[in-house]
Amino acid sequence: MNKKRTDFAQKLISAPYIVWSAIFIIVPLLMVAYYAFTDKSGAFTLDNISGLSRYAKTFGMSLLYAAEATVISLIIAYPLAYFMSNMKAGAQRMMSMLIMLPMWMNFLIRTYSWITILAKTGIINTLLSKIGIGPVQLINTPGAVVLGMVYNYLPYMVLPIYTVMVKIDKSLLEAADDLGSSPISRLRRVIFPMTVPGIISGITMVFVPSVSTFYISQKLGGGKTMLIGDVIEMQFQSSYNYNLGAAISLVLMVLILISLAVMNRFDDSEEGGILI
Amino acid sequence: MTNENIVELKNITVTFDGEKILDRINLAIKDKEFVTLLGPSGCGKTTTLRVIAGFVSPTEGDILFDGKAVNHLPPHKRQVNTIFQRYALFPHLNVFENIAFGLRVKKVPEAEIKKQVTDMLKLVNLSGYEKRNIAKLSGGQQQRVAIARAIINRPKVLLLDEPLAALDLKLRKDMQVELKNIQKSLGITFIFVTHDQEEALSMSDTVVVMNEGVIQQIGTPQDIYNEPKNAFVADFIGESNILDGVMKEDFLTSFSGREFTCLDSGFARNERVDIVVRPEDVDIVPEKDAMLLGEVTSVTFLGVHYEIIVDIGGFKWMIQTTDEQKVGDKVGLYIEPDAIHVMKKSKYSGMYGDYSTFSDEIEHLSDLEEDEN
Ligand SMILES: Nc1ncnc2c1ncn2[C@@H]1O[C@H](COP(=O)(O)OP(=O)(O)OP(=O)(O)O)[C@@H](O)[C@H]1O
Ligand SMILES: [Mg+2]
Repeated sequence: MNKKRTDFAQKLISAPYIVWSAIFIIVPLLMVAYYAFTDKSGAFTLDNISGLSRYAKTFGMSLLYAAEATVISLIIAYPLAYFMSNMKAGAQRMMSMLIMLPMWMNFLIRTYSWITILAKTGIINTLLSKIGIGPVQLINTPGAVVLGMVYNYLPYMVLPIYTVMVKIDKSLLEAADDLGSSPISRLRRVIFPMTVPGIISGITMVFVPSVSTFYISQKLGGGKTMLIGDVIEMQFQSSYNYNLGAAISLVLMVLILISLAVMNRFDDSEEGGILI
Repeated sequence: MTNENIVELKNITVTFDGEKILDRINLAIKDKEFVTLLGPSGCGKTTTLRVIAGFVSPTEGDILFDGKAVNHLPPHKRQVNTIFQRYALFPHLNVFENIAFGLRVKKVPEAEIKKQVTDMLKLVNLSGYEKRNIAKLSGGQQQRVAIARAIINRPKVLLLDEPLAALDLKLRKDMQVELKNIQKSLGITFIFVTHDQEEALSMSDTVVVMNEGVIQQIGTPQDIYNEPKNAFVADFIGESNILDGVMKEDFLTSFSGREFTCLDSGFARNERVDIVVRPEDVDIVPEKDAMLLGEVTSVTFLGVHYEIIVDIGGFKWMIQTTDEQKVGDKVGLYIEPDAIHVMKKSKYSGMYGDYSTFSDEIEHLSDLEEDEN
């Protein structure tokens, strides 16, 4: 009796969230699916999907660039999080602030500022020419695109790893020392395995936006590196082919889900649920 | 000569934020000895262990292993293992891997690891638990994993920081016996921390009583109980009536307004001293045979005996007796010479050993209980 009432109360409390997720998550997904499997007249068709093999290379490149950006972010973020977690409390707060600071600035402006840094007449090339190295092609290269992704999404890699790392009980590190671990072996046997959930969230939060970005590739890739995000954007903005756009989005989503599922297999700990 | 002591602390002082946590600790521990650090919360027991394990560097003083100073040796290079106050088992590893940790670090071959861990699980009665998740074990099981994880490395010295504190009484008694057996059969030196005096007395070869970062007394359990050095030790170990007295001459002392024959000597004539009389050493006798007369002010039944408080000239004594007494009864007391222990005056004199607040305390406690109900 009593239990029933709490159940009901709980349902009542969660009702707004259920409505919210229905309107803003389920309905859009259904709409994407609807457009993907219909033609302009609204009749059912598989042509949108079957025609996607044209874009196989673009899909592949998007996944590759996103993977590169994710790996580079991880390589930068992990040591950074490690050193941060060993700082004094005040310094730790300061560092988290500094890492989050760029996120307070508009994403477009952040990306735009890289153009002025990387351009032929940009800051780097000006400096290089001063020491006699001719202008180097920096902007409009795949490297610039990956750089843009790393720059924009790095905080999303650092913060989850850092959060998991500071929560490791110091006595576990002492226990590892006590049992004879050198600092390296301690990192390998205790700290790394215990931060896997943070690494997985970080990878997810960098990989997913990187794989679907279009703005970064347009601005820093100069249209030469066409990513799948650009193709989708084009369908909606200039070609007005919603059906094709939806089909690409749907396939991209499936690819992302597969990537995440594969990655999740590496995390056999119970906290693996963080992802979903 | 020097090698006789496996661990030695020489004048160890530890200061945190200008506060002295350990003050000139001197301690020599022999091979295969069971030494217990005993003292109230915050007296520096854990800090002493951390100095030995290498997690705290002393502000002053030396730590010697086998006669050699190891002050600058990092923890992972010291030949000691620790059982931490809250076990500190690795949550990402199962029971087997937790126990195997030290061997894996040392790159022991897989087959050897398997054999040793299996033996170890048998020793701590956890065979069949290899694959279990650490978080799903009971407190007692976790504690045994912690023991196995430490002793599989065959340390010469094992540091145990209140390993039994989290266990209920029954399990705790069992584990005390188990630990003692392990210590004997493997021949490991144990440095054991507790604030439970009964545990300390029943398990140890040597007890080190600490307070406020200072060692108060080092001795066998019998020494510590029968010959406490000062009022703090007398009060901390068991119950004690501690009285202000005067040593008239060798073997003759006076307190509570009369003279008593005792077994103590070596004090100055008429030196002011503290007298300890244990509650179980006082006999209740008919008034005509009595040395002291008093009035019962409180009676508590404790099963094996009664604990009664007797007012003698304003000083409240605690006495344990098997005869029932009633509040308000006049009783006579008799004290044998060997029941009297004489101590030098110390900074703790007058702070302990008077039970005048005792009955109030009891009332206060029962008030609290009523409030809770
Ligand atoms: N890292 C530290 N920084 C500052 N003070 C500390 C530190 N570690 C311990 N202390 C202080 O040192 C004193 C002794 O602490 P310690 O942990 O050695 O006590 P303990 O005897 O083990 O007590 P307990 O029985 O409660 O475990 C305490 O007052 C504690 O606050
Ligand atoms: Mg402690």
